[in-house]
Amino acid sequence: MTKPQSIKSPDNERQREDFDSRAPLGETILRRLYSYMLKCRTVEERIRLLFRQGRFSGNYFAAVGQEATEVGATMDLLAEDTIAPSHRNFVTHIMKGTPLTLMFAHIFLRKDSPDQGRCAQAHCGYAPLNIITPASTIAAQLAIGTGVALANKMQKKASVVVALSGEGSTSLGLWHESLNFAGVHHLPIVFVLENNLWAESVPARLQSAVDDFSIKAQAYGIRGITVDGNDVVAVYRASQDAIRRARGGDGPTLIECKTYRWYGHSEIDPAKYRTVEELEYWKSRDPIPAMERYLQQRGSWAESWKEELLAEFDKEIDDAIEFAEKSPYPDSEEALDHVFSFSIRERELNRKVWAPQISTSG
Amino acid sequence: MPLTTYIDAITGALREEMARDERVFIIGEDVGAMGGVFKVTKGLQEEFGSDRVIDSPLAEGIIVSSSIGAAMAGMRPVPEIQFADFIAPAMDSIVEQAAKLRYRSAGTQTCPLTVRVCYGGGTGGGLYHSQTNTSWFIQTPGLMVVAPSSPYDAKGLLKAAIRNDDPVLFFEHKKLYRSTKEEVPADDYTVPLMKAAIKRKGSDVTAISHGYMLQLTLQAAEKMKEESGAEVEVIDLRTLAPLDKDTFLESVARTSRVVVVHEANRTLGIGAEVSAIIAEEAFDCLDAPVARVTAPDIPAIPACPPLEKFYMPSVEKIVAALKRTLDY
Repeated sequence: MTKPQSIKSPDNERQREDFDSRAPLGETILRRLYSYMLKCRTVEERIRLLFRQGRFSGNYFAAVGQEATEVGATMDLLAEDTIAPSHRNFVTHIMKGTPLTLMFAHIFLRKDSPDQGRCAQAHCGYAPLNIITPASTIAAQLAIGTGVALANKMQKKASVVVALSGEGSTSLGLWHESLNFAGVHHLPIVFVLENNLWAESVPARLQSAVDDFSIKAQAYGIRGITVDGNDVVAVYRASQDAIRRARGGDGPTLIECKTYRWYGHSEIDPAKYRTVEELEYWKSRDPIPAMERYLQQRGSWAESWKEELLAEFDKEIDDAIEFAEKSPYPDSEEALDHVFSFSIRERELNRKVWAPQISTSG
Repeated sequence: MPLTTYIDAITGALREEMARDERVFIIGEDVGAMGGVFKVTKGLQEEFGSDRVIDSPLAEGIIVSSSIGAAMAGMRPVPEIQFADFIAPAMDSIVEQAAKLRYRSAGTQTCPLTVRVCYGGGTGGGLYHSQTNTSWFIQTPGLMVVAPSSPYDAKGLLKAAIRNDDPVLFFEHKKLYRSTKEEVPADDYTVPLMKAAIKRKGSDVTAISHGYMLQLTLQAAEKMKEESGAEVEVIDLRTLAPLDKDTFLESVARTSRVVVVHEANRTLGIGAEVSAIIAEEAFDCLDAPVARVTAPDIPAIPACPPLEKFYMPSVEKIVAALKRTLDY
């Protein structure tokens, strides 16, 4: 193993700790992984319910079924670390610590959302915790995240970037440009590729001729690894290892997490292009009960704990929804704000009309 | 004060800003060891190191995207697009990311970025080394589009752009690099963004232009003076977006006649916007229709001399338009 480069900010213990990828995970970590997966599932199922009830306008792109990847890849990031999410990674806000009140204000497109009602549900960022506001052009977030990693390196910061995208993103030029550039400059970034087998309606086999997308890392001289994306322990181990390497100056990693989205591309997609058998197979591999069984085997499980957690999450969600629904919409003219670093309201709203002036010198 | 070329003014601005602010860095194709294909960044890698003058992979998308991410994270990147003709691979980054980042985060994520773009025809460069695609960006709110016409403005505007907190597309005309000289202070100064300048006073007709075409417009104005005594007021827009409307509207209110000159093709070029603004906000001032001297609506600049000559606005074409407007 290469010796990590010296790290400038000494105030955080976790970043100096060597993650031992072979040692068993402690009970605290296992229980946190479980708890976060359950919270992500509970939040997203509530959002889906709100959509079906017509409580918000727009759409939602659920990662239900993929919680092991969402949680395992992003748990234990530091506040100064950056997440570059795609449209399907709303729940990574939970992992970074964005308050649910703001997340639901975003779902309801209200003034109190981090972007004050500008972005649709799929695009949520949060600057105080370094979550980049995503766009819909697939793979773009990897390239922006690569730039953040470049800045981290130039500024000699020990912060890392975790950039997430689906397998469909690997078909775009910017995916390759990002991995190539990160490889050349040895940047502190982890590319998490959520291979959920479907890019909207297109199966992975029509996206690429490879079985394991992680082999694409070889083309860019970076580490590539494929893990079971429904095994939260495997994803967490691989991610922590990659994050530790990135933080220590050992360059980027591509982690392919093989997983599955239970629902359509969005709430308006019934996903008729898939077979019932395929869906049932993946539902039988639900990462949440799998973790319950694992905790049970280790004697660290009580059904009452799950009930306590669910009651706690439901209360937090209820409160967040109440906050969000009470939050106003922005004023119409706020559409003119935040175009530039200066206000354009005056020039847009108060246009002057000129009359002929006779030149006094002529 | 020494006479300085346009290219040396730009190199000087880059050097001074890099020395002044360690957050400023350059990234682009051939910008480092080679000093750029036009030598704009010559000597800068030796002076500031390969960490701050980065020879990028040949990929405009990541040149601009990585700059956007770095800008978000506190740097002041100055990426170079070697030829404006090569900017299309970076369009997603520029239009969907740079222009919208501030807006889509309600001002909490920002992009202080200056993309230097070498543009323009008249050198026989043909379809892929001559384009003027400023209009693509003028139509993208959230971007600032700057196109200086002289060494003094080039240096002052580039320094202002680098210090500005908004994404700026900075268009440098390759014909201006070595053909124009002007007194340029060695001291630090900036030229205000979003502010047009009256480059020649006149009372009979207003000619509005920018970039290389501004120099041709000034020559046309002199020719008009010699031939007929007509006094042409020449306005340099300098910043194409957001547009300083008041400077040209105030001029039109005095002269009542307008010719707009630009090298971008006619349809929805800056001339279309200037004409529409004049029609909306100064209609009563006009004594003649607004005239435009522009490139024709063809896909790009053809290479061989007669075809290129047909494409490019020229002093003769500008003089003809000025005469038509005055005689109306």
